[in-house]
Amino acid sequence: MASQNQNPTVETQSQKEMTDAPPVQQDSHSVSKRLQQELMKLMTSGDPGISAFPDGDNLFNWIATIEGGAGTVYEGLKYKLTFEFPSGYPYQAPTVKFDSPCYHPNVDGSGNICLDILKDKWSALYDIRTVLLSIQSLLAEPNIDSPLNVHAAQLWENPAAYKIYLLEKYDKEVKSKQS
Amino acid sequence: MMESSDELLSKAWTVISEQLKPSASQNEDQLNRKEFCEAWQTLEANNLDYIVEEWFIETLQQDLRHRIGPLFWNFFKELENQTENSAYIQKFVESVNYLYEITREYRSCINLLESVSPLGETATSKNISSLIITFYKAIIFYTYPETFLTSVGKYYSEAFRVFHHINTESHDSGEEKSPLCDGCQIDVSTCTCQEIMETFHSVNKKLDDIGVLEKVSGAAVTSIVHSQIESYINTNCKGNFETSYFEHLEKWLDTKVLGWLNSIYAGEKSHNSISAFRGRLLHFLFETYANARIEQLFMIVIDYPESEPAILDLKTCLEKTNLRSQLMSSLRKALEDRLLHPGVNTTVILSAYISAIRSLRVLDPAGVILEFVSEPVRKYLRSREDTVRCIVLCLTEEGSNELLDELWKGQPLVLEDDTCSDEDEGDWETWMPDPVDADPSTTSKSRRASDIISMLVNIYGSKELFVNEYRTLLTDRILNQFNCDMDRELRYLEMLKLRFGESQLHYCEVMLKDVADSKRINSRIVQEMALVEQKMDIDINALILSAHFWPPLREEKITLPKEMQKSLEEYTKKFEALKGNRTLNWKPHLGMMKIEIEHNGTNLSFSVSPVHAAIIMQFQNKARWDVEELSGVLQMSVSALRRKITYWQTQGLLKEEVPDTFVLVDEVKGQGHEVVMVEDESESAMASAQQQREEELQVFWTYIVGMLTNLESLPLERIHTMLRMFAMQGPSTGEVSLPELKGFLDRKIREQKLVYYSGVYRLAK
Repeated sequence: MASQNQNPTVETQSQKEMTDAPPVQQDSHSVSKRLQQELMKLMTSGDPGISAFPDGDNLFNWIATIEGGAGTVYEGLKYKLTFEFPSGYPYQAPTVKFDSPCYHPNVDGSGNICLDILKDKWSALYDIRTVLLSIQSLLAEPNIDSPLNVHAAQLWENPAAYKIYLLEKYDKEVKSKQS
Repeated sequence: MMESSDELLSKAWTVISEQLKPSASQNEDQLNRKEFCEAWQTLEANNLDYIVEEWFIETLQQDLRHRIGPLFWNFFKELENQTENSAYIQKFVESVNYLYEITREYRSCINLLESVSPLGETATSKNISSLIITFYKAIIFYTYPETFLTSVGKYYSEAFRVFHHINTESHDSGEEKSPLCDGCQIDVSTCTCQEIMETFHSVNKKLDDIGVLEKVSGAAVTSIVHSQIESYINTNCKGNFETSYFEHLEKWLDTKVLGWLNSIYAGEKSHNSISAFRGRLLHFLFETYANARIEQLFMIVIDYPESEPAILDLKTCLEKTNLRSQLMSSLRKALEDRLLHPGVNTTVILSAYISAIRSLRVLDPAGVILEFVSEPVRKYLRSREDTVRCIVLCLTEEGSNELLDELWKGQPLVLEDDTCSDEDEGDWETWMPDPVDADPSTTSKSRRASDIISMLVNIYGSKELFVNEYRTLLTDRILNQFNCDMDRELRYLEMLKLRFGESQLHYCEVMLKDVADSKRINSRIVQEMALVEQKMDIDINALILSAHFWPPLREEKITLPKEMQKSLEEYTKKFEALKGNRTLNWKPHLGMMKIEIEHNGTNLSFSVSPVHAAIIMQFQNKARWDVEELSGVLQMSVSALRRKITYWQTQGLLKEEVPDTFVLVDEVKGQGHEVVMVEDESESAMASAQQQREEELQVFWTYIVGMLTNLESLPLERIHTMLRMFAMQGPSTGEVSLPELKGFLDRKIREQKLVYYSGVYRLAK
């Protein structure tokens, strides 16, 4: 897996060094090209409930929207996320955060997400679309074992109470800001 | 003693003043001279000799002002209301004679004065001689009456005519039948040309003697020469672009014009001024010639290459004159006025543009003139819808034309954005800098590119448009004619590939291959059928198109009758068996059917589209159909159905008995011959440009939705820039202009997909 994260265009001394301080010397042109392609793919694929677009003129900062999957407690809820692409993308993972406050066992108060593919399991084969789909499914199936939001993790055991609390929070924190 | 000296002085003064009067000094020269000398000595002894000179000059001035001047101008006073040419000429000659006489008289006085004056040998005498000329110029010729100028003009033009006549007589006297002499305009028998020439020479000589030849004649001569040059060029060179006049004109100037000038200024002391004059005249000649050519440059350009000599002449002229910018603006204007309006066919504009490219290349190899002049043409061509089509048609036309010849040269295309390093310019020895008026923002290499096809493609700046248009035309040819000359198409494709590159024409290559493959598959399937002795109800000859490589095809909904559908399905099965995991998607409306109709004992043959066939087949079982009903069975719209039925109505097979109900006509008047179906509205097989555009915009719409989902709300300009940045990058997507985008978004608002509020768009909830 790790070998996929190695930028073939950059010569690295050793595997060890790479994981410690990944060489970020990357032709920014090829990164923009890749992002451009991803945008096109995302636009044409039309997956329901996920969407992303560059924020303004900077191709390296994106805003994404995720809707909770149908049939889950998050159904009908919309969350905004920010993507920040390093210049070593796709050999380095993008920084993904929830922009709207999200009440979820694996999301902390400032929007950080605990998702393995965004951390050590990142692979150059992933792209924005797969990341978004992963986060969308994470909403419905949280990883209770490593919670960032303990309150939510505990409440998860009781789906009915969880849903009531979630909607209450969503109305207060997200919806009020949107309108 | 005192008295005698006074007396002596006054006597000497009388002698001198008498002697120095112009009229008196003619007779008894010797005696007078002696007397004059004695008187002079007397004065000199009393140191009074300097007065004499002053007095003489003063008298001369007075005389010129009060006597000679008025008398001289009197010659011309009477001419106020004259119309007769000869009167003017006569008066002029008389006046010159008069002035000459006066001058001669004064000359002798001056000579007398000079002979005695000790100063006379040095500076003063020169002063007196030149003074008198100065006086003439200052006192008499300080102003000219109108009549004088006309006289001079008329006199010199007559003289020129005569001179010209005498010099050319030897050439064409044999042919002349006119009773009037060309020179003097008098009956040939009493021709006065020689006399006129003689007086002319003497007049010139007299004027020269006086010293005012140039003063009097200069302006007239120059204007005559100029007008002669102009009329000579106008009569000889206008309208004929196929010969070079350059040497001829120079020779004409040297022999005729300069010959005449030489004859005028033969006596002139400053004879070398003529050679300077020649330079000026030559320049004027070039300028006039270039002007004449520039005036007709549009015609010259159109006539290229027949007009090449004229272009080369003009090129030489441009090097010697300063008419470049005038040429550029006048040709640009001519092109705009004569070409760029709706009444001119695109093909005409294109061929003019091609001629312009070719001719202006000769005129200005650096291409600056072409660039400037053709700019509005290019702009205009861009705005015409059928430009690309015309160019591509020209390229693929039968027979030969300029563009085809260019194509056969097979050079690769040079596009404006191709950046070439300076190194491969190679021939540094022949390198020339760009002209000063060149636009510095474009490279000189792109300007110098002489390839016409490249220039045409550069009207739009992209190969894709042309390749797409070629693809469209090719599709039309293949799908509408059913039998097209594949060898020829392949040959063209090869040539185009050299020009536009393999990758661009890959699609077209696949299309041609499809046609060839279809033939093979067809025969294979037919063979197989024959082998198992199975026969389809309808023979099918399919054209199998690889969907991905062909332009979007026109859609039309129809459900074919069972018989037809069955045959098609059988064919599809065979195909699937042959080709593994591929299948066929039929486009029945694009095909062609040969049908035979047996009706009331007569046999009729038609070649029609399957849609037409399907309609008439419905009448096989039922002779009367309601439109609604029929459209339900065929599953096509009523309006389309009506359009198709019209064909059978014109053939006399169907008629609309009551509105919306069609019945089969009983007795058919038509003869049983083969009727080749000509589709009423020549429909293209492809989706219309508008439909294609719609699809393109749909791609943008997904981007816009993506944008607005994530960025909530955006103003129009922002959406446009975002689209340009992110969506208009791919090779398949086109451009969208701001107004078009606005129209598109407004439509989406009407469809309630967007909301527009306080300057920003957002998605409707």
